[in-house]
Amino acid sequence: MPHGVIEQIPRFLTWYNAAFLLRAASFTLALSAVGSVVGILAGGAIAVLRRTRGWALAPLRGLGTLYVELFRRIPFLVTLLLVFYATQLGGYDMPLFAIGAIAVSLISTAYLAEIVRAGLASVHPNQWHSAAVANFSFMQTLRLVVIPQAWSVVLPPAFGFFIMFLKDTALASQVGVVELTYAGKTLNNRGFAPVLTFGAVLLLYFAMSYPLTLLGRRLEVLVARPRHR
Amino acid sequence: MTYTLQFGQVTRYLPFLAEGGLISLALAFLAFAGGMVLGLLGAMGRTFGPRAVQRGVQAYVVFFTNTPQLVQIYFLFFVLPEAGILLSPFQAVLLGMTLNAGAYLTEIQRAGFATVPRGELDAAETLGMSLTQSVRLVILPHVVKTLYAPLSNQYIIMVLGTSMAAVFGVEELTGRAFSVNAETFRSVEVFSIVGAMYIVLTLIATLALSVVGRLMFRVRMPTL
Repeated sequence: MPHGVIEQIPRFLTWYNAAFLLRAASFTLALSAVGSVVGILAGGAIAVLRRTRGWALAPLRGLGTLYVELFRRIPFLVTLLLVFYATQLGGYDMPLFAIGAIAVSLISTAYLAEIVRAGLASVHPNQWHSAAVANFSFMQTLRLVVIPQAWSVVLPPAFGFFIMFLKDTALASQVGVVELTYAGKTLNNRGFAPVLTFGAVLLLYFAMSYPLTLLGRRLEVLVARPRHR
Repeated sequence: MTYTLQFGQVTRYLPFLAEGGLISLALAFLAFAGGMVLGLLGAMGRTFGPRAVQRGVQAYVVFFTNTPQLVQIYFLFFVLPEAGILLSPFQAVLLGMTLNAGAYLTEIQRAGFATVPRGELDAAETLGMSLTQSVRLVILPHVVKTLYAPLSNQYIIMVLGTSMAAVFGVEELTGRAFSVNAETFRSVEVFSIVGAMYIVLTLIATLALSVVGRLMFRVRMPTL
């Protein structure tokens, strides 16, 4: 253990540093919340779009599939930098948090579209057919037949994805969004021992992620339905 | 203000970038291989070890899967030198990625172990097999087929994860993109080309893995 770490602890554990880290942690949470909400809405829309039939929507379906397949194969850091530089092309300054939120949403939409697609696919085709026989419209079939059966399949992986996201937002520190990792780097630059700064950051991430993991496990048990047909 | 995209200035760096792509694949492979060994030990400890070992493995998995890989590497990168251990950026990133992968791969392999019917383990014990023998001769042949798809998925995720090595100055695909960006100032062009290269890279990796899986383990995976 390097000398001086123990002596630094009282100087590190100040209200100011605690407030700084907690505020940064709230930005991490906000960033992942934006990603999750946009992801589930836009991703859900893409997944539903890909289930439609008919020629009119064929190009949109193709675009949806292309989007999902491509954006799941680009690292988050590269997407982030691409959004960062592309938003500067217009010549106006965009807040860094907005850049982070756009990049996060782009990626989460692609992943959640895939998760929702798998959920929709888990509902047996007969269900679609019987709904059609009962003269349900496409939206009625979704709302009354498919979604009530699909959501318990969607929820566990979607929740796992949200938790993964909470950790992936750490990369947003690279374009200067002041979230938890960036705060850790700042404190490190102020001369505190890295054991303390990054240790505190690791603990804070853990404090956010672990309760969510436990909650996800509870939810999984709650929504798991006996699958027999 | 208008900005004209000029890919021409970046295309001459393509071979340089492609080489970086190979470094990314190699980094992911090394970390994956190390993580598989850690994961196998972890899964064995978690399944057959005494209670203290089970707890220890569980703590390792829970801690590493609930904190960001980037911060884990930051921690190693800055703390190890203070403790007198000097690692190159590549070594530090590799160490961090291996430890991180080890946690996820422990979880995956433990789940695989759980699919082996209890009776087969009892049979192995009756035949007088040692623990390592029954893992090697009974469990592994079983789980290779079940685990091939989730493991190759994990490898693809790790290939994408290598991009954060650039943060520490490793010259893999994203790291080289930083260099090209600094030389040409064609940021949008550089990073869209690099994004496309990651797509190609992971597509090649997926294809190769599904061919290997089909030929060696008779596993059928969806190609896309």
